[in-house]
Amino acid sequence: MTSSLPTDFLGRIIYLITNYGSSFLRGAGVTIAIAVVGTVIGCLIGFVVGITQTIPIHANDSKLKKFLLKIVNAILKIYVEVFRGTPMIVQAMFIYYGALMYLQISMGMWIAAFFIVSINTGAYMAETVRGGIISVDLGQTEGAKAIGMNHFQTMLYVVFPQTLRNIIPQIGNNLIINIKDSSVLSVIGTVELFYAAKQTAGAFYWYFESMTVAMLVYLAMTLITSFLLRKWEKKLDGAASFDLATTDTLAHTSGLLRGPTRRNGGHRHGR
Amino acid sequence: MGDEILRVGHLGKTFGNNVVLRDIDFTVSKGDVTSIIGSSGSGKSTLLRCINLLETPTCGEILYHGVPINGKDVNASEYRTHVGMVFQTFNLFNNLSVLKNCVIGQTKVLKKNKEESIAHAVTYLEKVGMAPYINAKPHQLSGGQKQRVAIARALAMDPEVLLFDEPTSALDPETVGEVLAVMRSLAREGMTMIVVTHEMAFARDVSNHVVFMSEGIICEEGTPKEIFESPKNARTQEFLARFTQN
Repeated sequence: MTSSLPTDFLGRIIYLITNYGSSFLRGAGVTIAIAVVGTVIGCLIGFVVGITQTIPIHANDSKLKKFLLKIVNAILKIYVEVFRGTPMIVQAMFIYYGALMYLQISMGMWIAAFFIVSINTGAYMAETVRGGIISVDLGQTEGAKAIGMNHFQTMLYVVFPQTLRNIIPQIGNNLIINIKDSSVLSVIGTVELFYAAKQTAGAFYWYFESMTVAMLVYLAMTLITSFLLRKWEKKLDGAASFDLATTDTLAHTSGLLRGPTRRNGGHRHGR
Repeated sequence: MGDEILRVGHLGKTFGNNVVLRDIDFTVSKGDVTSIIGSSGSGKSTLLRCINLLETPTCGEILYHGVPINGKDVNASEYRTHVGMVFQTFNLFNNLSVLKNCVIGQTKVLKKNKEESIAHAVTYLEKVGMAPYINAKPHQLSGGQKQRVAIARALAMDPEVLLFDEPTSALDPETVGEVLAVMRSLAREGMTMIVVTHEMAFARDVSNHVVFMSEGIICEEGTPKEIFESPKNARTQEFLARFTQN
């Protein structure tokens, strides 16, 4: 069988795809699963941490509340700094072997991968969410307070939806980073795309060819992700125009409208 | 004058060592339209924001129906549902449509049901002439339209008093009129209002009580006739003279 192996670049690529395509695909599936789950859980962690860090402390608050908030915020700050400030590949080995040797917990490929990617993403997202919340105009909060909303309602109905819209590009960034960086989990035996590519490469010593396939699959995954994220953003922005809820034709010619009338009678307004 | 709603007593506010308000006293009764006038930096807006507890007064008291509301154990959110506020910068919720801006406070804060809240919101949007725009988002509206929606949003909460913080200062001269018209009609219907404004014609013609502030204190207060026709305080005279010259 060995004698019939192709020797040219293209031939080897085709050989890898036809014989090991399923192994690459399975690896890609694991990569996507880790990236998506890790990003989703990481975002949730980030939301909780970011929102907690922006709870305002009033002079009127009880001493206990002030004390608790200070303690919690200190812990969260340490979490963010530690996980943002160390490489994920080191964290992976640190957590995996630490759990194995000192806590007698064998995490298994999936749990370890989800845990490490989530907690890492969470540290980055916490800062993103905090920045996103701070960047929402203070007037929005005041408007909400002025109709009697408490801090929780203000966040839930007014500030957070706007924060979310503003940080979607950053969530997308994290997802794409996670698709790529989950490759470091190969060091703790997670069989994702890079691991699969390395195994295949090792079988024939076709490193260049195997990594070429891996490159293409990674690129395909990130490009599709980018595309889908853009679509989601557009959808969240809603329609650029709105329809006047009236049959009164005078309303359509009132001088208050900025844009020209559209065919369907709706009005386009500048954005 | 009818029942007293708000009484501000010896109110003071300092930011660091900058004294913004000093010993402010005034009362608002049901149906009063109080205009607060004065030059920029005189503390008018801060006073209004103190009344709505967006700023915490440093000293003094604010009584709402005789009950102090600037103490520690007061539920500021609950109080604010009775005392609405309209801002210079509108502060409409950018993520919600015009209709939802006027509904969300009713459903989430007052816990009213959705159908009732929508009907109530539409009533007030019609009143301010913005009913055709219920599906629009704030960024699709002009300044005057936004401010009219903001007024409808405040009214939909059925407040007892409505505070206006320079509601027309961010508008171009053409759209000032549409907002003032809405405010005039509210005043005619007996809405209790406190209006911080630079619109002297509004203060003179619509309000029944005018407060002139300068450097953090109330220099003079009285009926529009008293303030505009025979001001006693030198600073009031000077301020009004500048306006009549223009």
